[in-house]
Amino acid sequence: MLRGSLAIWRRDMIVLRRSLLSEMVAVVAYPLTIYLAFGIGMKSYIGLVEGVPYSLFIAPGLITMTAVNAAYSESVWSLWFHRRVQFTIESYRVTPISVSEIVIAKILSGFTHGLVKGVMVGLVIFTITPFRFPLEHLAFYLLFLVPGSALFSCAGVICGTIMDKPETIGKVEAVFIMPLIFMSGLFFPLSSYPAQVIPWVRALPTTALFEGARQVLVAGTFQYEFLLQVSVTALLVFIAAVWIFRRKLSE
Amino acid sequence: MNALKHPAAAISVRSLCKRYGELMALDDFNLEVPQGSIFGLLGPNGAGKTTLIRILTTLMRQTSGEARIEGFDTRSNGRDIRALIGVVSQENSLDRYITARENLELHARLHGMEPKLYRRRIDELLELMGLSGRQKDMPDTFSGGMQRRLVVARALLHEPKVLFLDEPTTGLDPQSRRAVWDYIHSIAGRMTVFLTTHYLDEAEQLCDRIVIMDHGRLIDQGSSQELKDKLSGGTVYQIDFTDSVGRYADLLRQMACVKDIEIIDQSVCVALESWECLSEIVPALNGAPVRKISLKERTLEDVFMSLTGRKVRE
Repeated sequence: MLRGSLAIWRRDMIVLRRSLLSEMVAVVAYPLTIYLAFGIGMKSYIGLVEGVPYSLFIAPGLITMTAVNAAYSESVWSLWFHRRVQFTIESYRVTPISVSEIVIAKILSGFTHGLVKGVMVGLVIFTITPFRFPLEHLAFYLLFLVPGSALFSCAGVICGTIMDKPETIGKVEAVFIMPLIFMSGLFFPLSSYPAQVIPWVRALPTTALFEGARQVLVAGTFQYEFLLQVSVTALLVFIAAVWIFRRKLSE
Repeated sequence: MNALKHPAAAISVRSLCKRYGELMALDDFNLEVPQGSIFGLLGPNGAGKTTLIRILTTLMRQTSGEARIEGFDTRSNGRDIRALIGVVSQENSLDRYITARENLELHARLHGMEPKLYRRRIDELLELMGLSGRQKDMPDTFSGGMQRRLVVARALLHEPKVLFLDEPTTGLDPQSRRAVWDYIHSIAGRMTVFLTTHYLDEAEQLCDRIVIMDHGRLIDQGSSQELKDKLSGGTVYQIDFTDSVGRYADLLRQMACVKDIEIIDQSVCVALESWECLSEIVPALNGAPVRKISLKERTLEDVFMSLTGRKVRE
């Protein structure tokens, strides 16, 4: 069943391996700049947030943001490019693999991109800043990063499937994806929101992802309900991605 | 699986219809393509060729009717069919981010081929297509002809039983076109080739049988010669005049054995009932400023024009 997915994923990894070094500069530059500007520059003005220095507060979120952004970007652009520009999706579809295998491959590739780039940014932040965490927290943090990257990868597949114009993809990223990430408590605690807004923000799967990931990495507090929320959402979005992709290609 | 055990035809289409809203892209289409033949599908743009090929390659579902490839139903045996077919689509669908060899390896894996088998097969095909020396290069550094040859190699990798070629030589230089033709000739008999083309000389050169379609319907079919023989008007001669073409055209038009006349510049194309009528024509033109009289061979373009009322590229 997954033969086709593995073949396409393997192709995507060849391309990633070839472009890894050049991509890393761009991937690391953005979160690192934010970290240096906010975490270091603003640290003395902000002080402690939820009992930890501000630079420590935002670090897990920046790693998570890099991972999910990379997962989303890889899936959305890869799918759009292969479908609309290179017509490689069409060439896959005349081989004996199913449409679901193509979607799974693209989700796997987005997920791998997210994981590799997230880990890379984590390593850079760990190396050049005083951000430290107990190693045992890392395993639990990855439990959040895996469904989180999968969720954004599936969202990327949906956008890459239904959007035919590249500018629309850019708009969705600017108007929907980035605000969703920033609103989920990446730079500030949820308690900063007005009381009536907090339940709505808490209901977002991105909040579960960013809050859960931060709490487990910084404080070692594992919130099962957050992980469940992210995982269930990822599963639902995956089902939607496969359905939408199949439907679009049958048109 | 729902395959016929010993299918007589490589491709069998019965009452196939495809509707896009109000538009009927395929209308009660019937077709039989014998195994091992080279089959040509001709039609002007919008005739329904691409729709038919997309249904046969399982990329699209028909509205009604039945289509079978090697006995497998396109609606229920898509995976079995895709294992048996190779497809060269109109678009260049090569992956420009991986090398030529990696493109072939990817498709071998998608077809579930074993590495030992596909490595040998890729070497053979790259050699055959004259691409061995460029196998580690990205396809976008190739010329159009080389890219097309790579697409053909990719379609042949898993040794398909039916090869679909959707306008395989569009945009190629004459030399590359000839190379693709030579290859298609070389595989004749070993697999069924289903070809769509805008180039009538290509269809004439390559195909055992030709189907002409328009408005989603099959208009006529046969070998190139059979189709030409069906043309009304018998034998056509072209008479080139140096002067007074109109006057002599009127004279010829009044003759009983002349079925039709067409004036093109200083020439008159005369359709005769049979070639014997030429003996009546020649004396009638005694003293006329005739430069040349030549037999005008009927072309597939003439057949196409007479059947569809338009040129193939319109």
